[in-house]
Formats: sequence, C-alpha cells, structure tokens
Amino acid sequence: MERSYYIGLAEGGLRMPIGTHLVLHEAADVAAIELDGARLGDMVVRAAGRFNTPLAVPLMDLKLEKEALLAARGIAAAEIESFHFSGLPGAAPDFTLTPRMRATCEAIRHVAKHPGLVPMGMGIGPFSLMTKLIGDPITPVFLAGTGVTAAEDPEVALIERVVELGTELLLHYYSAQIDAGAKAIIVCEPAANLVYFSPNQLANGYDIFDRYVTAPMRRIKALFDARGVDLVFHDCGELTTGMIGRFVTLDPAMLSFGCSRLLWEDAALLPKSIVLYGNLPTKRFPASQLSVADVERLARELLDKMHATGHPFILGSECDVLSVPGSEREIMAKVEAFMKC
Amino acid sequence: MSTLSELAVAVEGGKRNDAKLITQALLEQGLKPLAIVEQGLVPGMASIGEKFKNNEVFVPEMLIAARAMKECMGILEPLLAAAGIKPKYTAVIGTVQGDLHDIGKNLVAMMLKGANFGIVDLGTNVAPDKFVAAAREHGAQLICLSALLTTTMPAMKLTVQAVRAAGLTSAKIMVGGAPVTQEYSDEIGADGYSQDAASAVDLALRLAEAC
Repeated sequence: MERSYYIGLAEGGLRMPIGTHLVLHEAADVAAIELDGARLGDMVVRAAGRFNTPLAVPLMDLKLEKEALLAARGIAAAEIESFHFSGLPGAAPDFTLTPRMRATCEAIRHVAKHPGLVPMGMGIGPFSLMTKLIGDPITPVFLAGTGVTAAEDPEVALIERVVELGTELLLHYYSAQIDAGAKAIIVCEPAANLVYFSPNQLANGYDIFDRYVTAPMRRIKALFDARGVDLVFHDCGELTTGMIGRFVTLDPAMLSFGCSRLLWEDAALLPKSIVLYGNLPTKRFPASQLSVADVERLARELLDKMHATGHPFILGSECDVLSVPGSEREIMAKVEAFMKC
Repeated sequence: MSTLSELAVAVEGGKRNDAKLITQALLEQGLKPLAIVEQGLVPGMASIGEKFKNNEVFVPEMLIAARAMKECMGILEPLLAAAGIKPKYTAVIGTVQGDLHDIGKNLVAMMLKGANFGIVDLGTNVAPDKFVAAAREHGAQLICLSALLTTTMPAMKLTVQAVRAAGLTSAKIMVGGAPVTQEYSDEIGADGYSQDAASAVDLALRLAEAC
C-alpha cells in the first residue's frame, strides 16, 4: 500500500488500541473461536468496528510459532510450552501450519472480504522466537558479542541455528498470511531489547544486534517487499536509540514502541515516511492506581508533544491490550478514555 | 598467591575460568569454603549488583557474573555441605501460575544466592499450593513471586492468599516483575516489592532478618 495511506490515517487523528484480545474475551468460547477462522475473523472485524479503525489487527499470540516449530519436530503438545532446546537441532523439517495458524490465516481471508478494512497479519520476530526456544539465550548472545564463535562455543552455535530455523518457519508462516490476503503484517520483536543486549557491549558497535535481529528481519522484509506487503514493526521492550536506528533501516510503514520510550524524542530519529504508533502504558490499565483521568492526561500530553514534532502519529497502546479477568470494565474504560482524547 | 579480592573481581567480570582457578587456589592455600563464599563471591556479586542498580551494567553482565559464581559454588558447595554449613536464610522462588517468563525470577534467584541465601527455585507456572508446600517443607523465611504479564498478576494475589490461608506466619512474601508496582504489592497484601534484582537482595535481607 502507499505510505500516504498510513500517514493519512495519522493526519486524520486515528486513535486505536491493539485491542482484539479485549473483544475476543467478551465471548464465552474463546478457545473454540481461536480455532475457527471465520469466527476469529469476525472478532477482528468487530474489534476494528469497536475501535473505529480500518486497520484490522489480528490477535497477538506470540506462542503460535514456537508451537509450530516444535510440533514439526515431533515434540509432544504437553511439553511444548516449557520446552527448550538443549542440543543443536537438526535441519529444518517441512513446516506445517498448526490449527491456530490456519485459523489466523482464515481470519485474514475473512477480513479481506470486508471493504474498507485493511487485512493485517501478525507474528513474532526471529530473535524473539529464538529466546522462547532456549533456556538461557542471554549469556550466549553476550558471549557472541565478545567475539566467541559458534565453532568455539556450543551455546553460541545453538542460538545461531535456532535463529535460522525460526526465520525459515516465519517466512513460511508470513507467506501463508500474505496468501490469505494480508496487506500489512505486524512483526513483534519484544525481546530485541536491553535485557538481551547489553548497552555496554552495543557501545562498541551493533554488530551482534545486526547479526541476530536486523539481518533475519531483513529476510522477512525482503519477502514483504517482494509481495507488496507493508511491515509494521513492534517492540515494546526497553530500547537504546541505536536499536531504533536499526529498526528504521528496515523501512517499516509503522513503528510501535513500549511506554519506556518518549515518542516525541524518538520522532527525530525517524523519517516522516514512518508513522509512529503507541505508546500509552496499557500494561498498567488493569491497575486501579492508574485512573481514567490519568490515562486522559497521558494521552493529551502525548498528543500535544507529538503534534509539536509534526511527525505522523497514531495514538494507541504500548502493546496488545489484554483482557484481565475481573478488570475488564476498568481496562475498557481506560481504552475508551484515550480514544476520546 | 591468589586473594579473595581477586576472586571478587573475577566474579564481577564474569571470568568463570579465572574464578574457578582462584577458588581452587584459595582452598589450597587453606582458606575455609565459607570464607571464600562470604569474602570473595558475595562481595563480587554485591558489587555488580550495585552497578546494575545504578544502570552501569545490565542483565547480560549480571548473568555472566552469576555464571562465574555458580561455577565456583560447584566447587564449594560439596565442601560446605560436608562441613554441615547451611545458608542462614532460605527463599522459595517461582514465577506464578500461568506465566512462563523466568529471566527476572532467575536474576533474583542468582542475586539471592550470591548473597548466600539457600534457594528453592520452583521454576515457572507455579501453582499457589506448590509455593505453600515448598515453603513449609524447607522452612523458608522468604517466598518470592515473579510475574511478567498483566494477565498473570491475579495469580500473584491468589498465591499470597494461599500462603496466608496456610498460616505460614514465619514466611515473608516479596513480589516483583515488569507490571508489578508497590501499590499492587500493598493491595494484595505482600510484605515487600522490589523493582529490580539488585534491590531484591536488600529487601530480602530486611524481610528475612525480621522473621
């Protein structure tokens, strides 16, 4: 799609949460809907309508890819959640979409039938996927940053193999989402942050970040470019300015950050062809200590400061807004509050 | 001749091979294992913990240091056990039910171990009754609950309720994790909240001493 489309949405004052989880969890049979593409698609359409946005954002569930990668290797379903590779996995098997992934693709196909909506895809990034598959990914990433090679250290070899395997799976999954009609895809890389990468190490250069985050993402971006699909890049982790510079080189249509970032300062790091999205502290919305009035104040402050930068901006959430049992009304009241600002 | 301060520096710098060699050398020089822990390993971890608190170092450096300490403890623990020496305090730690995140929990566990706490790590996705059973079994002074997700914070509250209902009056509960705040800690009736792993040590010592 033309970049002017997203910029136009920003200029038109769009406000929206990543809110499909909220709408989905109003239903009684969530698990059944998650496996039913048409019903799941209806939820995405309903969420877009509820929040008055043409961007039809799928459910953000970043567990699907780990499940698919391990299921393809014959790991029992009951073990998948807690499974971590302890040895070097063999070559990539033929990936098959899991039932949840097939439903996600069917939901995109369903959304694509609705004129006026932009069918969007969703998934995890290669680095974040790797961190879910290895017990301690931080130490080998740091060691690799000190110059230790895969040949010298089995833990470094493991992360490199798993990043490669994960990227192959993601290319397969994103292709399926594009086949289903996705016009833009949200790729979530929340682990590309300063928990996993020491700023002290990055001060000497971003080679290690480029190797494990930017380079695999470039392969995904190349797929999107070849298929005419826009990248929406999301990272709600704590970031360095240098990391943001790397994300900008991916040339996303939109960038979405967590509430640790001051977007009005980050705007100076981005060309105006990239829309900034975010970043109200929605992870704190279930807490009564953050009042509706607080949310309104934060939203107005963010809007004012972003307006002053002149950078295209869509007011929204720092991540997907989760429905928390017992706090549903409180969360929705805060979402509605910022939507009205 | 190796010194305890060299050991502390090696641990702090995450030089695990150096740290192991120094530990061996100190033992050969006749130092007691407990002295090596208390005057070499603990100061090394305390020093990097302080730098972590001040944002001078970050999680990767902490993990590398903790790995070095762990290697040394691998040498020292059998000797400590043979001498009948146990840590002064015991902490049961885990990520609450429904939550599989463990980086924060592991960091706190490592820091507490570095401060010479005995650690019973229950892992992730831990049901309230498991915390209760482990605290009772090990006579823990501390129960440490971690949660990373907004959606799993209610499990933290349920765990606090379960501990109180079980009458474990001698165990204090401390909580932490990205979405957790002091206000939430107060709201659910925990005994303390820590916003990072290094501060967790200070809090843990304060709570354990109050038991």
